[in-house]
Amino acid sequence: MLDDIQIRRLILLSAARDAGAFEQLYRLTAPVLLGVAFKITGRRELAEEVLHDAFIKIWHAAARFDPVATRPVAWMATIVRNRAIDSVSRADVARVVSVGEDEDSLDRFFDWSAAADDEADGARMRHWLRGCLDELKGGERQALVLAYLHGLSHGELSDQLAKPLGTVKSWVRRGMQSLKQCVDSCMGVS
Amino acid sequence: MKLGASPYLDALCGDYLLGTLRGAARARFERACADEPVVALRLQHWQQLFTPQPSEAFRMQPAPRTWQRIAHDLDLRRYRQPWFARVGLWRGWALTATAVLTVWLGVSLIDRAPAPPVMHPIATLASAAGAAPVVASLSGDGRWLQLVPARPVVAASTQSYELWLLPPDGSAPVSVAVLGELAAQLQVPDALRGRLQTGAKLAVSVEPAGGSPTGAPTGPVILVGAINAG
Repeated sequence: MLDDIQIRRLILLSAARDAGAFEQLYRLTAPVLLGVAFKITGRRELAEEVLHDAFIKIWHAAARFDPVATRPVAWMATIVRNRAIDSVSRADVARVVSVGEDEDSLDRFFDWSAAADDEADGARMRHWLRGCLDELKGGERQALVLAYLHGLSHGELSDQLAKPLGTVKSWVRRGMQSLKQCVDSCMGVS
Repeated sequence: MKLGASPYLDALCGDYLLGTLRGAARARFERACADEPVVALRLQHWQQLFTPQPSEAFRMQPAPRTWQRIAHDLDLRRYRQPWFARVGLWRGWALTATAVLTVWLGVSLIDRAPAPPVMHPIATLASAAGAAPVVASLSGDGRWLQLVPARPVVAASTQSYELWLLPPDGSAPVSVAVLGELAAQLQVPDALRGRLQTGAKLAVSVEPAGGSPTGAPTGPVILVGAINAG
Protein backbone atom coordinates (compact mmCIF):
# COMPACT_ATOMS: atom_id res chain seq x y z
CA MET A 1 0.00 0.00 0.00
CA LEU A 2 1.30 3.42 -0.87
CA ASP A 3 1.97 5.27 2.33
CA ASP A 4 0.49 8.79 2.14
CA ILE A 5 2.99 10.17 4.61
CA GLN A 6 5.94 8.87 2.65
CA ILE A 7 4.56 9.98 -0.74
CA ARG A 8 3.75 13.44 0.59
CA ARG A 9 7.27 13.74 1.95
CA LEU A 10 8.77 12.68 -1.39
CA ILE A 11 6.69 15.27 -3.27
CA LEU A 12 7.85 17.99 -0.89
CA LEU A 13 11.48 16.88 -1.27
CA SER A 14 11.03 16.90 -5.07
CA ALA A 15 9.78 20.47 -4.79
CA ALA A 16 13.12 21.20 -3.10
CA ARG A 17 14.79 19.70 -6.21
CA ASP A 18 15.88 16.44 -4.60
CA ALA A 19 16.30 14.19 -7.65
CA GLY A 20 16.78 11.07 -5.52
CA ALA A 21 13.44 11.63 -3.80
CA PHE A 22 11.78 12.23 -7.17
CA GLU A 23 13.13 8.94 -8.49
CA GLN A 24 11.84 7.12 -5.43
CA LEU A 25 8.48 8.83 -5.88
CA TYR A 26 8.40 7.50 -9.42
CA ARG A 27 9.37 3.95 -8.41
CA LEU A 28 6.60 3.81 -5.84
CA THR A 29 3.74 5.44 -7.73
CA ALA A 30 4.42 4.85 -11.44
CA PRO A 31 2.82 1.36 -11.60
CA VAL A 32 -0.51 2.60 -10.16
CA LEU A 33 -0.41 5.77 -12.30
CA LEU A 34 0.43 3.84 -15.46
CA GLY A 35 -2.68 1.77 -14.72
CA VAL A 36 -4.73 5.00 -14.51
CA ALA A 37 -3.31 6.21 -17.83
CA PHE A 38 -3.78 2.84 -19.52
CA LYS A 39 -7.46 2.65 -18.62
CA ILE A 40 -7.92 5.91 -20.53
CA THR A 41 -5.57 5.44 -23.48
CA GLY A 42 -6.19 1.72 -23.95
CA ARG A 43 -2.76 1.57 -25.57
CA ARG A 44 0.37 0.80 -23.68
CA GLU A 45 2.86 2.95 -25.57
CA LEU A 46 0.51 5.92 -25.35
CA ALA A 47 0.06 5.31 -21.62
CA GLU A 48 3.85 5.34 -21.12
CA GLU A 49 4.00 8.61 -23.07
CA VAL A 50 1.33 10.07 -20.80
CA LEU A 51 3.25 8.85 -17.73
CA HIS A 52 6.40 10.54 -19.02
CA ASP A 53 4.65 13.86 -19.65
CA ALA A 54 2.82 13.69 -16.32
CA PHE A 55 6.03 13.17 -14.32
CA ILE A 56 7.65 16.11 -16.11
CA LYS A 57 4.64 18.15 -15.00
CA ILE A 58 4.74 16.72 -11.45
CA TRP A 59 8.41 17.75 -11.09
CA HIS A 60 7.51 21.31 -12.11
CA ALA A 61 4.26 21.46 -10.15
CA ALA A 62 5.62 19.85 -6.96
CA ALA A 63 6.17 23.26 -5.39
CA ARG A 64 2.45 24.01 -5.80
CA PHE A 65 1.33 20.75 -4.18
CA ASP A 66 -0.87 21.55 -1.20
CA PRO A 67 -0.29 18.75 1.31
CA VAL A 68 -3.37 19.70 3.28
CA ALA A 69 -5.89 19.83 0.44
CA THR A 70 -5.57 16.44 -1.24
CA ARG A 71 -4.17 12.98 -0.78
CA PRO A 72 -0.86 12.88 -2.64
CA VAL A 73 -1.58 9.93 -4.94
CA ALA A 74 -4.96 11.40 -5.88
CA TRP A 75 -3.17 14.66 -6.73
CA MET A 76 -0.70 12.85 -8.98
CA ALA A 77 -3.49 10.79 -10.55
CA THR A 78 -5.33 14.01 -11.46
CA ILE A 79 -2.28 15.21 -13.37
CA VAL A 80 -2.02 11.86 -15.15
CA ARG A 81 -5.74 11.85 -16.02
CA ASN A 82 -5.64 15.37 -17.43
CA ARG A 83 -2.65 14.50 -19.57
CA ALA A 84 -4.27 11.25 -20.73
CA ILE A 85 -7.49 13.04 -21.68
CA ASP A 86 -5.54 15.65 -23.64
CA SER A 87 -3.69 12.90 -25.42
CA VAL A 88 -6.77 10.87 -26.44
CA SER A 89 -8.60 14.04 -27.49
CA ARG A 90 -6.15 14.54 -30.31
CA ALA A 91 -7.94 13.63 -33.49
CA ASP A 92 -5.17 11.38 -34.76
CA VAL A 93 -5.33 9.02 -31.81
CA ALA A 94 -7.24 5.85 -32.47
CA ARG A 95 -8.13 3.83 -29.45
CA VAL A 96 -10.21 0.92 -28.47
CA VAL A 97 -11.51 1.14 -24.99
CA SER A 98 -12.58 -2.15 -23.63
CA VAL A 99 -15.42 -1.37 -21.35
CA GLY A 100 -16.85 -4.19 -19.35
CA GLU A 101 -18.18 -2.28 -16.41
CA ASP A 102 -20.34 -3.72 -13.73
CA GLU A 103 -21.67 -2.66 -10.39
CA ASP A 104 -18.32 -3.42 -8.74
CA SER A 105 -16.23 -1.03 -10.84
CA LEU A 106 -16.54 1.74 -8.33
CA ASP A 107 -15.03 -0.36 -5.60
CA ARG A 108 -12.53 -2.18 -7.75
CA PHE A 109 -10.93 0.83 -9.38
CA PHE A 110 -11.14 3.36 -6.57
CA ASP A 111 -10.02 3.18 -3.02
CA TRP A 112 -12.61 4.64 -0.68
CA SER A 113 -10.98 3.62 2.56
CA ALA A 114 -9.50 6.11 4.98
CA ALA A 115 -5.74 6.59 4.91
CA ALA A 116 -3.77 5.88 8.07
CA ASP A 117 -3.07 9.55 8.70
CA ASP A 118 -6.21 10.84 7.00
CA GLU A 119 -7.76 13.95 8.36
CA ALA A 120 -11.30 13.23 9.47
CA ASP A 121 -12.56 15.66 6.80
CA GLY A 122 -11.02 13.78 3.92
CA ALA A 123 -12.32 10.42 5.12
CA ARG A 124 -15.83 11.83 5.63
CA MET A 125 -15.77 13.41 2.19
CA ARG A 126 -14.94 10.12 0.51
CA HIS A 127 -17.59 8.34 2.52
CA TRP A 128 -20.20 10.89 1.39
CA LEU A 129 -19.08 10.81 -2.22
CA ARG A 130 -19.36 7.01 -2.29
CA GLY A 131 -22.83 7.19 -0.74
CA CYS A 132 -23.96 9.95 -3.10
CA LEU A 133 -22.83 7.94 -6.12
CA ASP A 134 -25.14 5.18 -4.97
CA GLU A 135 -28.04 7.58 -4.88
CA LEU A 136 -27.68 8.55 -8.54
CA LYS A 137 -29.91 7.00 -11.16
CA GLY A 138 -28.36 3.99 -12.89
CA GLY A 139 -27.68 5.64 -16.25
CA GLU A 140 -26.23 8.77 -14.70
CA ARG A 141 -23.92 6.81 -12.45
CA GLN A 142 -22.78 4.57 -15.28
CA ALA A 143 -22.05 7.56 -17.53
CA LEU A 144 -20.04 9.31 -14.81
CA VAL A 145 -18.00 6.25 -13.91
CA LEU A 146 -17.23 5.41 -17.55
CA ALA A 147 -16.26 8.99 -18.35
CA TYR A 148 -14.03 9.26 -15.30
CA LEU A 149 -12.40 5.86 -15.49
CA HIS A 150 -11.87 5.61 -19.25
CA GLY A 151 -11.85 9.29 -20.20
CA LEU A 152 -14.74 8.78 -22.62
CA SER A 153 -16.06 11.84 -24.45
CA HIS A 154 -19.79 12.54 -24.80
CA GLY A 155 -19.71 10.92 -28.25
CA GLU A 156 -17.92 7.80 -27.03
CA LEU A 157 -20.31 7.52 -24.08
CA SER A 158 -23.21 7.73 -26.47
CA ASP A 159 -21.73 4.85 -28.50
CA GLN A 160 -20.92 2.74 -25.46
CA LEU A 161 -24.27 3.19 -23.80
CA ALA A 162 -26.20 3.09 -27.08
CA LYS A 163 -28.11 6.24 -26.16
CA PRO A 164 -28.58 9.49 -28.10
CA LEU A 165 -25.89 12.12 -27.57
CA GLY A 166 -28.38 14.52 -25.99
CA THR A 167 -29.46 11.95 -23.42
CA VAL A 168 -25.88 11.18 -22.47
CA LYS A 169 -24.99 14.86 -22.17
CA SER A 170 -27.86 15.52 -19.84
CA TRP A 171 -27.07 12.40 -17.76
CA VAL A 172 -23.53 13.66 -17.28
CA ARG A 173 -24.59 17.19 -16.43
CA ARG A 174 -27.45 16.19 -14.14
CA GLY A 175 -25.34 13.46 -12.57
CA MET A 176 -22.50 15.80 -11.66
CA GLN A 177 -24.94 18.42 -10.41
CA SER A 178 -26.82 15.96 -8.19
CA LEU A 179 -23.55 14.55 -6.93
CA LYS A 180 -22.35 17.99 -5.95
CA GLN A 181 -25.65 18.89 -4.30
CA CYS A 182 -25.62 15.63 -2.40
CA VAL A 183 -22.03 16.04 -1.12
CA ASP A 184 -22.60 19.72 -0.37
CA SER A 185 -25.68 18.91 1.67
CA CYS A 186 -23.77 16.21 3.58
CA MET A 187 -21.21 18.90 4.38
CA GLY A 188 -23.96 21.17 5.65
CA VAL A 189 -23.54 23.69 2.82
CA SER A 190 -26.77 24.01 0.95
CA MET B 1 -16.97 37.02 -21.83
CA LYS B 2 -15.24 36.00 -18.70
CA LEU B 3 -16.03 32.45 -17.61
CA GLY B 4 -16.22 33.53 -13.99
CA ALA B 5 -19.50 35.29 -14.74
CA SER B 6 -20.98 32.42 -16.72
CA PRO B 7 -24.14 30.78 -15.39
CA TYR B 8 -22.59 27.51 -16.59
CA LEU B 9 -19.50 27.78 -14.40
CA ASP B 10 -20.50 24.82 -12.20
CA ALA B 11 -21.43 22.71 -15.20
CA LEU B 12 -18.07 23.52 -16.79
CA CYS B 13 -16.17 22.60 -13.62
CA GLY B 14 -18.01 19.27 -13.51
CA ASP B 15 -17.38 18.56 -17.19
CA TYR B 16 -13.73 19.50 -16.81
CA LEU B 17 -13.16 17.26 -13.80
CA LEU B 18 -14.92 14.36 -15.42
CA GLY B 19 -12.94 14.83 -18.62
CA THR B 20 -15.92 15.29 -20.93
CA LEU B 21 -14.93 18.90 -21.61
CA ARG B 22 -12.69 18.54 -24.65
CA GLY B 23 -10.62 20.36 -27.22
CA ALA B 24 -10.85 24.12 -27.49
CA ALA B 25 -13.40 24.35 -24.69
CA ARG B 26 -11.03 22.48 -22.35
CA ALA B 27 -8.10 24.74 -23.28
CA ARG B 28 -10.26 27.82 -22.76
CA PHE B 29 -11.32 26.59 -19.33
CA GLU B 30 -7.69 25.97 -18.34
CA ARG B 31 -6.74 29.48 -19.45
CA ALA B 32 -9.62 30.89 -17.40
CA CYS B 33 -8.35 28.98 -14.34
CA ALA B 34 -5.01 30.71 -14.72
CA ASP B 35 -6.51 34.16 -15.38
CA GLU B 36 -9.63 34.29 -13.26
CA PRO B 37 -9.36 33.53 -9.55
CA VAL B 38 -13.14 33.01 -9.37
CA VAL B 39 -12.88 30.10 -11.78
CA ALA B 40 -9.83 28.62 -10.07
CA LEU B 41 -11.57 28.78 -6.69
CA ARG B 42 -14.75 27.19 -7.95
CA LEU B 43 -12.78 24.38 -9.57
CA GLN B 44 -10.83 23.90 -6.34
CA HIS B 45 -14.11 23.49 -4.47
CA TRP B 46 -15.24 20.83 -6.97
CA GLN B 47 -11.87 19.13 -6.76
CA GLN B 48 -12.15 18.82 -3.01
CA LEU B 49 -15.40 16.94 -3.50
CA PHE B 50 -14.36 14.69 -6.37
CA THR B 51 -10.82 13.48 -6.33
CA PRO B 52 -11.14 9.77 -5.75
CA GLN B 53 -8.08 7.77 -4.83
CA PRO B 54 -7.16 5.28 -7.58
CA SER B 55 -7.20 1.69 -6.42
CA GLU B 56 -3.77 0.13 -6.05
CA ALA B 57 -4.98 -3.24 -7.21
CA PHE B 58 -4.46 -2.35 -10.88
CA ARG B 59 -0.75 -1.89 -11.50
CA MET B 60 1.40 -1.94 -14.59
CA GLN B 61 5.18 -1.85 -14.44
CA PRO B 62 6.43 0.91 -16.76
CA ALA B 63 9.24 0.15 -19.21
CA PRO B 64 12.68 1.16 -17.85
CA ARG B 65 13.00 3.51 -20.84
CA THR B 66 10.21 5.74 -19.52
CA TRP B 67 12.12 6.71 -16.38
CA GLN B 68 15.33 7.15 -18.36
CA ARG B 69 13.56 9.63 -20.65
CA ILE B 70 12.09 11.55 -17.72
CA ALA B 71 15.51 11.77 -16.03
CA HIS B 72 17.08 12.84 -19.31
CA ASP B 73 14.44 15.42 -20.24
CA LEU B 74 14.55 17.04 -16.80
CA ASP B 75 18.33 16.73 -16.73
CA LEU B 76 18.11 15.31 -13.22
CA ARG B 77 21.89 14.74 -13.04
CA ARG B 78 22.25 18.44 -12.34
CA TYR B 79 20.34 18.01 -9.13
CA ARG B 80 22.25 14.95 -8.03
CA GLN B 81 25.60 16.64 -7.97
CA PRO B 82 26.35 17.86 -4.46
CA TRP B 83 25.26 21.43 -4.79
CA PHE B 84 28.17 22.83 -2.76
CA ALA B 85 30.49 21.49 -5.46
CA ARG B 86 28.88 23.85 -7.93
CA VAL B 87 29.86 27.01 -6.05
CA GLY B 88 33.33 28.33 -5.38
CA LEU B 89 35.37 26.69 -2.69
CA TRP B 90 35.35 29.79 -0.50
CA ARG B 91 31.60 29.79 -0.39
CA GLY B 92 31.60 26.03 -0.07
CA TRP B 93 32.80 26.25 3.51
CA ALA B 94 29.96 28.39 4.73
CA LEU B 95 27.43 26.45 2.72
CA THR B 96 28.76 23.11 3.91
CA ALA B 97 28.37 24.21 7.52
CA THR B 98 24.80 25.25 6.79
CA ALA B 99 24.16 21.98 4.96
CA VAL B 100 25.46 19.92 7.88
CA LEU B 101 23.10 21.74 10.20
CA THR B 102 20.21 21.39 7.76
CA VAL B 103 20.83 17.70 7.26
CA TRP B 104 21.08 17.17 10.99
CA LEU B 105 17.81 19.02 11.48
CA GLY B 106 16.24 17.19 8.57
CA VAL B 107 17.28 13.79 9.86
CA SER B 108 15.93 14.58 13.28
CA LEU B 109 12.61 15.81 11.83
CA ILE B 110 11.96 13.32 9.07
CA ASP B 111 11.83 9.59 9.48
CA ARG B 112 14.08 7.72 7.15
CA ALA B 113 12.39 5.92 4.29
CA PRO B 114 12.00 2.22 5.03
CA ALA B 115 14.52 -0.14 3.46
CA PRO B 116 13.24 -2.24 0.53
CA PRO B 117 11.81 -5.54 1.79
CA VAL B 118 13.77 -8.79 1.51
CA MET B 119 11.93 -11.17 -0.82
CA HIS B 120 11.78 -14.96 -0.44
CA PRO B 121 10.68 -17.16 -3.36
CA ILE B 122 7.48 -19.05 -2.48
CA ALA B 123 6.29 -20.50 -5.78
CA THR B 124 7.17 -21.07 -9.41
CA LEU B 125 4.16 -20.60 -11.66
CA ALA B 126 4.45 -22.76 -14.74
CA SER B 127 2.36 -23.23 -17.82
CA ALA B 128 1.16 -26.50 -19.27
CA ALA B 129 1.61 -24.91 -22.70
CA GLY B 130 5.31 -24.32 -22.09
CA ALA B 131 5.17 -20.54 -21.65
CA ALA B 132 7.87 -18.82 -19.62
CA PRO B 133 7.63 -19.60 -15.90
CA VAL B 134 7.12 -16.87 -13.30
CA VAL B 135 8.75 -16.87 -9.88
CA ALA B 136 6.59 -15.47 -7.05
CA SER B 137 8.38 -14.12 -3.97
CA LEU B 138 6.96 -12.85 -0.70
CA SER B 139 8.55 -10.23 1.56
CA GLY B 140 9.68 -11.34 5.00
CA ASP B 141 6.79 -9.46 6.61
CA GLY B 142 4.27 -11.02 4.22
CA ARG B 143 3.09 -7.63 2.91
CA TRP B 144 4.64 -7.59 -0.56
CA LEU B 145 4.44 -10.04 -3.38
CA GLN B 146 6.75 -9.91 -6.35
CA LEU B 147 6.36 -11.69 -9.68
CA VAL B 148 9.38 -12.14 -11.92
CA PRO B 149 8.74 -13.79 -15.28
CA ALA B 150 11.57 -15.51 -17.13
CA ARG B 151 10.93 -13.05 -19.94
CA PRO B 152 8.71 -9.92 -20.13
CA VAL B 153 5.06 -10.73 -20.84
CA VAL B 154 2.66 -7.83 -21.44
CA ALA B 155 -1.10 -8.23 -21.83
CA ALA B 156 -2.75 -7.05 -25.05
CA SER B 157 -4.51 -3.71 -24.58
CA THR B 158 -7.90 -5.39 -24.42
CA GLN B 159 -6.79 -7.88 -21.78
CA SER B 160 -5.42 -8.02 -18.29
CA TYR B 161 -3.81 -10.78 -16.29
CA GLU B 162 -5.40 -11.59 -12.98
CA LEU B 163 -3.55 -13.29 -10.15
CA TRP B 164 -5.58 -15.67 -7.99
CA LEU B 165 -5.04 -17.46 -4.72
CA LEU B 166 -6.40 -21.01 -4.77
CA PRO B 167 -7.06 -21.89 -1.10
CA PRO B 168 -5.89 -25.31 0.14
CA ASP B 169 -9.46 -26.35 1.05
CA GLY B 170 -10.52 -26.19 -2.58
CA SER B 171 -12.83 -23.20 -2.05
CA ALA B 172 -13.33 -20.54 -4.73
CA PRO B 173 -10.26 -18.68 -6.06
CA VAL B 174 -9.66 -15.28 -4.47
CA SER B 175 -8.43 -12.39 -6.62
CA VAL B 176 -5.04 -11.06 -5.51
CA ALA B 177 -4.37 -8.46 -8.21
CA VAL B 178 -5.13 -7.34 -11.75
CA LEU B 179 -1.96 -6.91 -13.80
CA GLY B 180 -1.08 -5.35 -17.13
CA GLU B 181 2.03 -7.48 -17.32
CA LEU B 182 3.49 -10.40 -15.42
CA ALA B 183 6.44 -8.52 -13.91
CA ALA B 184 4.95 -6.89 -10.84
CA GLN B 185 5.48 -5.92 -7.26
CA LEU B 186 2.29 -5.56 -5.36
CA GLN B 187 0.94 -5.28 -1.89
CA VAL B 188 -0.78 -8.35 -0.55
CA PRO B 189 -4.41 -7.34 0.16
CA ASP B 190 -5.08 -7.20 3.90
CA ALA B 191 -7.62 -10.01 3.70
CA LEU B 192 -5.04 -12.34 2.13
CA ARG B 193 -2.14 -11.58 4.40
CA GLY B 194 -0.94 -14.80 6.00
CA ARG B 195 -2.91 -16.91 3.50
CA LEU B 196 -0.06 -17.29 1.00
CA GLN B 197 0.91 -20.51 2.77
CA THR B 198 2.17 -23.94 1.86
CA GLY B 199 -0.79 -25.94 0.52
CA ALA B 200 -2.37 -23.02 -1.34
CA LYS B 201 -1.67 -22.30 -5.00
CA LEU B 202 -1.23 -19.20 -7.12
CA ALA B 203 -2.66 -18.99 -10.62
CA VAL B 204 -2.83 -16.41 -13.41
CA SER B 205 -5.79 -16.14 -15.79
CA VAL B 206 -6.36 -13.97 -18.84
CA GLU B 207 -9.28 -11.57 -18.30
CA PRO B 208 -10.87 -8.59 -20.06
CA ALA B 209 -8.94 -5.34 -19.47
CA GLY B 210 -9.44 -4.30 -15.87
CA GLY B 211 -9.92 -7.81 -14.54
CA SER B 212 -12.61 -10.43 -14.24
CA PRO B 213 -16.09 -8.89 -14.46
CA THR B 214 -17.56 -11.58 -12.23
CA GLY B 215 -15.03 -11.84 -9.41
CA ALA B 216 -14.13 -15.40 -10.48
CA PRO B 217 -11.69 -16.42 -13.22
CA THR B 218 -13.46 -16.22 -16.60
CA GLY B 219 -10.58 -16.62 -19.05
CA PRO B 220 -8.00 -19.35 -19.57
CA VAL B 221 -5.60 -20.08 -16.71
CA ILE B 222 -2.15 -19.69 -18.20
CA LEU B 223 0.04 -20.26 -15.15
CA VAL B 224 -0.28 -22.15 -11.91
CA GLY B 225 2.08 -23.12 -9.11
CA ALA B 226 1.90 -24.52 -5.60
CA ILE B 227 3.14 -22.35 -2.75
CA ASN B 228 6.01 -23.70 -0.74
CA ALA B 229 6.59 -21.06 1.88
CA GLY B 230 9.34 -23.18 3.46
